Amino acid sequence: MTDRDMSDRLLKLNAALDGELDAMASLAFERELRDDRALAAEYRRLVALRDAVRHHAPREAAPQALADRIAALAPPPQAAAPTATVVPLRRRAWLDRRALALAASFAVLGFAVGAGLTALRTPSGSSEVAQRLVSDFARAEIAGQPFDVASSDRHTVKPWLADRTTVSASIVDLAPEGFPLVGGRVAIVDRVPAPTLVYRHNEHVVAVTELPLGAENARAAGAIETIDGYHVARWADANLAYVAVSDMDEKTLGEFVEAFRRGGGPATEPARP
Amino acid sequence: MPPLLDDAYTLAKWLSQSPTDAEDIVQDAALRALQALSRVTVDRPKPWFLAIVRNAAMTFMARNRRKTVAYAGDMADLDALDLRQGDDDAAPNPEQALIAMQDGERLRQAIASLPSPFLETLVMRDVNGLSYREIAEATEAPVGTVMSRLARARASLAKTLRAEP
Repeated sequence: MTDRDMSDRLLKLNAALDGELDAMASLAFERELRDDRALAAEYRRLVALRDAVRHHAPREAAPQALADRIAALAPPPQAAAPTATVVPLRRRAWLDRRALALAASFAVLGFAVGAGLTALRTPSGSSEVAQRLVSDFARAEIAGQPFDVASSDRHTVKPWLADRTTVSASIVDLAPEGFPLVGGRVAIVDRVPAPTLVYRHNEHVVAVTELPLGAENARAAGAIETIDGYHVARWADANLAYVAVSDMDEKTLGEFVEAFRRGGGPATEPARP
Repeated sequence: MPPLLDDAYTLAKWLSQSPTDAEDIVQDAALRALQALSRVTVDRPKPWFLAIVRNAAMTFMARNRRKTVAYAGDMADLDALDLRQGDDDAAPNPEQALIAMQDGERLRQAIASLPSPFLETLVMRDVNGLSYREIAEATEAPVGTVMSRLARARASLAKTLRAEP
């Protein structure tokens, strides 16, 4: 075995251990593990090591004093006056009012879990939805599997989605506009399955997720945002809210959205149950 | 206790090998983060904040200790580390390895003595639970480098633990 094979083997073992193999590679790896006892033994050693590291070098709780000092970096929003100058660090000019407000929420949230920070900057819940859909989109792209049902026929896609979601999807035929339907998948938003249509344009893909018209989803069409390098457009009609995520450029996505909205509306039946 | 702060503190403590320095580092990182928050939108707080902690640790170490954190990306002198584990020297005896791992103090020492690029990668992965991609982002290294650092870190830990009585 050459050095190169050797290190590839080791990298693969580690990637498998860390859950970083994609589905196909995992499958192949599981087979290898079954057939190759030396590999399996090596893998068990790695698992033992990883478990030992986790056990003996766990995440430690930050000292309360540190948490307090960080919380004190900014005064609570109510007491806007800078009373909390216990901090043994220089106050800086940049700590203007806005930064202070942010800092306050930052501290109050105590470096809160997950999307806490995102929420700081974009208080509407809908942005979290967009963020989640972008992750979804990226994952699907990376996996090379942008849809769960592959069909350019909306009469195939619609019943497939209808079986799996509670939102009745409006499916627009945009092939004449250069955006043929390629399939559909289900996105999970707030633990509810939401139909997602996947259209293609040249080598690019756009995924439109249709959501019930909740308060946080009801957003007029605005500018196209960029999240993690993907473009995101949001709009709503009388029945549904839509989030389109795409790797297309902003202009093309704008055209797509326009075509989708105009697209005779739903080209099948009106999207109401 | 907010988990992100714990993650930050733990990472800083491993990088600085000192609880008090870790507090200073995290506090400095928090200031930097607050400053940055007024300019940027943060999509994934954890890797974002840990990257700031890591950079704060680098700055802190460079300022206060001169030497210890000397290199961050130079792989040349790291190649001396034997990537291969197992095949010849170690009898594939997982139970034995497992028993050796029971000794937490020795394991912690072995982790602490890893060169910092390996240390930070290992801690971000196994303690902070970041993905390869997130570690790559936080350490400004390509994913391939992250993978090989992690493999080497683990191989080196296993070797250290085997070598000692």
